[in-house]
Amino acid sequence: MTATARTSESRNRRISDRLKKVKGKAAILAALGFIFLSGLFSMDSGDWMITVLRGLSVGAITFLVASGLSLIFGLMDVLNLAHGELFMLGAYVGWTVYVRPDTFMDVLLPVGIVVAVFAAAPFFAWLASRVPLSGGFNRILAWALVLVGLLGTAAALPRFPLSMWNLDAFAETPVANSLAFDTGTQVLPPHAVFDGSAVALIILLLITVSLIAFGIALLKKTGAAPSRLSGRSMAPAVTALVIALGSLMFNDMLTEWMYGIGTTYRFFIALGVAAIGGFGLGSVIEMILIRPLYDRPLYQLMITLGLGFIIIETVRSVWGRPEFTMPKPALFAGTGDGCPGEGLSGFFSGCSTVKILDTRIRVYNEFFIILVGAAVLVIITLLIKRTRMGMIIRAGVQDREMVEALGVNVRRVFTTVFGLGVGLAAFGGVIAAPALGLSTEMGSRVLLLALIAMAVGGLTSFPGAAAGAILVGLLQQFVIKLGSTGIPLPWLDEPFKPSPSLVPVSVIVLMIVVLLVAPQGLFGREE
Amino acid sequence: MSSILDVSAIHTFIGPFHILEGVDLTIEEGDIVALLGRNGAGKTTTLKSILGLTPPRSGSVTFLGADLAGLRPFEVAQRGIGYVPEHRAIFKDLSVEENLKIAEREKGDYLRRKDFILSLFPDLGRLIGLPGTKLSGGQQQMLAVGRALVPENHLLLIDEPSEGLAPVLIEQMMDAIIEMSSDTTVLLVEQNFIVASRLASKYVIVEEGRSVSYGMMDDLVNDEETIRRYLGAA
Repeated sequence: MTATARTSESRNRRISDRLKKVKGKAAILAALGFIFLSGLFSMDSGDWMITVLRGLSVGAITFLVASGLSLIFGLMDVLNLAHGELFMLGAYVGWTVYVRPDTFMDVLLPVGIVVAVFAAAPFFAWLASRVPLSGGFNRILAWALVLVGLLGTAAALPRFPLSMWNLDAFAETPVANSLAFDTGTQVLPPHAVFDGSAVALIILLLITVSLIAFGIALLKKTGAAPSRLSGRSMAPAVTALVIALGSLMFNDMLTEWMYGIGTTYRFFIALGVAAIGGFGLGSVIEMILIRPLYDRPLYQLMITLGLGFIIIETVRSVWGRPEFTMPKPALFAGTGDGCPGEGLSGFFSGCSTVKILDTRIRVYNEFFIILVGAAVLVIITLLIKRTRMGMIIRAGVQDREMVEALGVNVRRVFTTVFGLGVGLAAFGGVIAAPALGLSTEMGSRVLLLALIAMAVGGLTSFPGAAAGAILVGLLQQFVIKLGSTGIPLPWLDEPFKPSPSLVPVSVIVLMIVVLLVAPQGLFGREE
Repeated sequence: MSSILDVSAIHTFIGPFHILEGVDLTIEEGDIVALLGRNGAGKTTTLKSILGLTPPRSGSVTFLGADLAGLRPFEVAQRGIGYVPEHRAIFKDLSVEENLKIAEREKGDYLRRKDFILSLFPDLGRLIGLPGTKLSGGQQQMLAVGRALVPENHLLLIDEPSEGLAPVLIEQMMDAIIEMSSDTTVLLVEQNFIVASRLASKYVIVEEGRSVSYGMMDDLVNDEETIRRYLGAA
């Protein structure tokens, strides 16, 4: 056989392989299209529209979780099984900021102090490099400091004022409080007070947390040349400390302001707090738990799975009976004159519902959430396509070692991306909360959907995760809807009605079929 | 002339395998040094050990007077070492221009060096907007070398620049390397002895993880005994 004949034959084989794969994917998309469109014949157009909107809404929330999962998995091969629980934690934090801003203000002080001290890590590293100890003595000193620091912190923290869980200051449970908030009968609680001298407690906490941070710095000391200390590296620590002390000094004023600005603005503040908090927490998780285990993926899976359980139990113990509703912000809760709004302009009338095609659409659940999902999709896509960070992410997905060899601190990019993913999940939790309510199970449910969306779209493909999330959301909602209307099939007298138990199964079936036909997912690239 | 890189008695393990069992080499400023040896002798691992991608377990690597032990690869690179790996490692999801830009260490590196890089490899100019996947092997090789030239590097580690290239492209690549070596020092791994002998002024031979011979390239070319012993029939 001549060389040209051989190459042309192999090319033919490649093309036919390609066709086979494309055919499989096309068949799946056609089947999904059939399910979505068959609704057009069996339900009226209003029903169909609302089903599409609900599907997109579920897809948007799934996407907020799946996007972070897929970025993290694509770049660093870590499947973060705690991602769903971080979504849930975000919802609880957002809820607290939203419903109980006084508690949020109280929490800022101790949290700010702890963050400030740990953000001062460069200072402690500098200090540690000046300690002329090494080996065993160094380790003993370090652990002793950490131990003393932990004991001191445990003694100091409960003496800080926290109005929500201080029963003397406020006897209502969070649940009753949420209800009171919703019906407008909430009363400003009396302020909680320090159990002791405020100044002494703050200084005590600063010292004890510093002991922990210093101990950790001693443990991490490499014995290389002493590190230099630059003023700029201390900026985050100073900022956190200023916020902490500011929240103490202006506590009354800020609390009143937070209560006064109305639910809409407070909702956006809650979103911001959850996103920033999620970013910080995600970065810390990556540095402490994930980083030491990059060579051992199985342990990473186990540690993130365990972390998920820890978060669930933490939420249970901190928030008490853990199921809340989150009232919708005023912007999406209008009723009365002129409501429900009519037509497209109705979406911006401040009404809680809008009537289109004789169907009531809930503005928050079926419009705003989709809008947010689309906005996040655009922003992340721009970040990936247009920024240097995105360039490094795209390159790192393919070849981390080479990116590092070019002089890029890949580890720092990992930390940032992990933080970004967790921040997105926490943000998604707050977005979902007014529509779905809060419960400790909300995380595992959305994680399952997100994992399926990733598998369907292609594990490491970011656009794939977005498309997968939309498909999963649509499929789930259509199966729910078709369960009541039925699919009219020409060879059956009665329309075929999928039973309700098919709902959770349907998306899993989709995943199985996709993985059998196209193991790389619908939009993934072959390795 | 002062030495800018000193590698002394490095031992490197990859997993359980003892790959380098004592490699020494010294590179002086402005040199082109060829690292020679049979397949699997440890040439690529030597380059990776210098960069810290496979950190040596013992021995020392000194660059511009500073010990590189314990530094992470990106820190080594930031001290001014450029790397052109075997098989090019072009980023497929990035355009040609982005493949160059990602190597920036300071903002503006790319714009500053663009003209120089395009003068060495004029082909890259018309490919600049294409994704990395669309490039032929030779074009990828040029891009990989160009990428290493974006930041200001004191030393380039180039692994197999002529591998898989058509003869006319090899000529172009050699011209480029000679051109750039006027202000950069180069350590080169090269299987093709003819290419290596024309490019490099000095050589180091690695055999089974040890450096066994070094000297001036001109002497090696006439030393048929050494060539036969360590490099096979050449």
